[in-house]
Amino acid sequence: MSKIVMRFTGVGGQGVLLAGEIFAAAKIKDGGFGIKTATYTSQVRGGPTVVDIQLDDKEVFYPYAIDGEIDFMLSVADVSYQQFKGGVRDGGTIVIEPNLVHPTEEDRKRWNIVEIPIITIAKEEVGNVITQSVVALAIANTYTKALDEQVLIDTMLSKVPKKVHELNLKAYELGKKYALEAMK
Amino acid sequence: MSATREVIANGNELAARAAVDAGCKFFAGYPLTPSSEIMHVVSDLLPKIGGAAIQMEDEIGGVAAAIGASMSGVRSFTATSGPGISLKAENLGLAQMVENPLVVINVMRGGPSTGLPTRVSQGDVAQAKNPSHGDYKSITVCAGNLEECYTETVRAFNLADRFMQPVFVLLDETIGHMHSKAVLPSLEEVQAGIKLRKTFDGAPEDYKPYGVGEDEPAVLNPMFQGYRYHMTGLHHGPTGFPTEEIETCRKLIDRLFKKVEAHQDEIESNEEYMVDDADILIIGYGSASLAIREAVNTLRAEGVKVGMFRPITLWPSPEARMHALGQKFEKVLSVELNQGQYLEEIQRSMGRLDIEKLTKTNGRPFSPADIIEKVKEVF
Repeated sequence: MSKIVMRFTGVGGQGVLLAGEIFAAAKIKDGGFGIKTATYTSQVRGGPTVVDIQLDDKEVFYPYAIDGEIDFMLSVADVSYQQFKGGVRDGGTIVIEPNLVHPTEEDRKRWNIVEIPIITIAKEEVGNVITQSVVALAIANTYTKALDEQVLIDTMLSKVPKKVHELNLKAYELGKKYALEAMK
Repeated sequence: MSATREVIANGNELAARAAVDAGCKFFAGYPLTPSSEIMHVVSDLLPKIGGAAIQMEDEIGGVAAAIGASMSGVRSFTATSGPGISLKAENLGLAQMVENPLVVINVMRGGPSTGLPTRVSQGDVAQAKNPSHGDYKSITVCAGNLEECYTETVRAFNLADRFMQPVFVLLDETIGHMHSKAVLPSLEEVQAGIKLRKTFDGAPEDYKPYGVGEDEPAVLNPMFQGYRYHMTGLHHGPTGFPTEEIETCRKLIDRLFKKVEAHQDEIESNEEYMVDDADILIIGYGSASLAIREAVNTLRAEGVKVGMFRPITLWPSPEARMHALGQKFEKVLSVELNQGQYLEEIQRSMGRLDIEKLTKTNGRPFSPADIIEKVKEVF
């Protein structure tokens, strides 16, 4: 597998950090190398947050995604979308929450912009907004095919309390379903 | 050698685990971004093994309680970021003067003052050399990858007990928060390497904790075990009681230096990456070295012969090695996330001023491209 570089962006408190940790851990459990770094602001909630995830078969030393090398980005907040979209390679995929992120027409020409209402799915279909990071996880893996799905799901379940396993599995399935529909 | 352990964690978590594995039983501190996970982890781990972790009322209380625990003979530590070190400075000076072993982890963020709380910096390198007033010789190590967050913390505990003084472990926000795989030595290997402080087991009336050789650390028995002595920040004689006697005062401060300087071979640690056949030498440490390593690999692929020298022990500096490298390399570039705090030490060690520098102080990390561009620009 060649190196896959992903970026998740949102605002503080949305749980994008956890999604990054799950990806990195799953890749390592699968025998490869994964590294996650996050950048956030000193505001506890509401500040732009970015998580870079690099997955490769060999060790990666430099922990941040390099601008122009990002294959896939997912964004659930406009402030961080605008700030961090520039790192995505031309033709790369950016999944956005259409109720919150507003790409320009130029953006739509430069990147493959996909609209999936991630937060609405988490809130209304899964029933808990906090599961949006797992919905995002499923969408990212469906697009990038970065990891064996079962390894990713098992890693995800190992990071959340048992009592919410069902809920998070539902979130994963819904994320995957919406991604597959969007890819048609 | 016994089997290694593979874990997935961030640097802060690894430093915390290392402390516990190194036999530390006490933590006191005040959680400060970007170091807070260290306190989170020890708060979970220490009570399980009969230790304690206390959130104190402030940074000063944190270091004071850790020093107190250490006086009772227990391995203890505190963790914070630069602003916390500023507040702890007075007590760190006390620990230097009374020769109290202690590990102090500083996960560096942008400064001065409250600065950039969530952003990376290496701006506390000069501070680690002399956090408080007066003359003493700092021991400061700096982790440059996830493994070293663990191994350098373990080493810091052993150095603190060996030299009887605070030892700084510098992480930075990038290293502290990057989350990936780390391969650690086995617990048995770590435990076999633990070297606790020397103690005196003669008759209590013969005990002179500070009556040691001119290049030796004090021998401080744990408190409450029948050996009575005095600890003070004032200049003191062999039993620890204050004195202003001229020769005693001179010898005391000389000894605080000599106990470190005479044994630098036990403290120094560096990494040299592709230095042997290089034409250009880049010097950097901590997270900056991650970008340097990538830059070296990229430049090498283009046929540019570059190497990296990375001090792991920053203080005392590897001055002899840097001097030798300064003789060998005409082209030297210093890369650090401050305005050139270690550059001054490189210049001093190499005995020359013509060292190129790449610095950054906006809270953002170096990218490999920054370094490649600089190398091509200046050499």
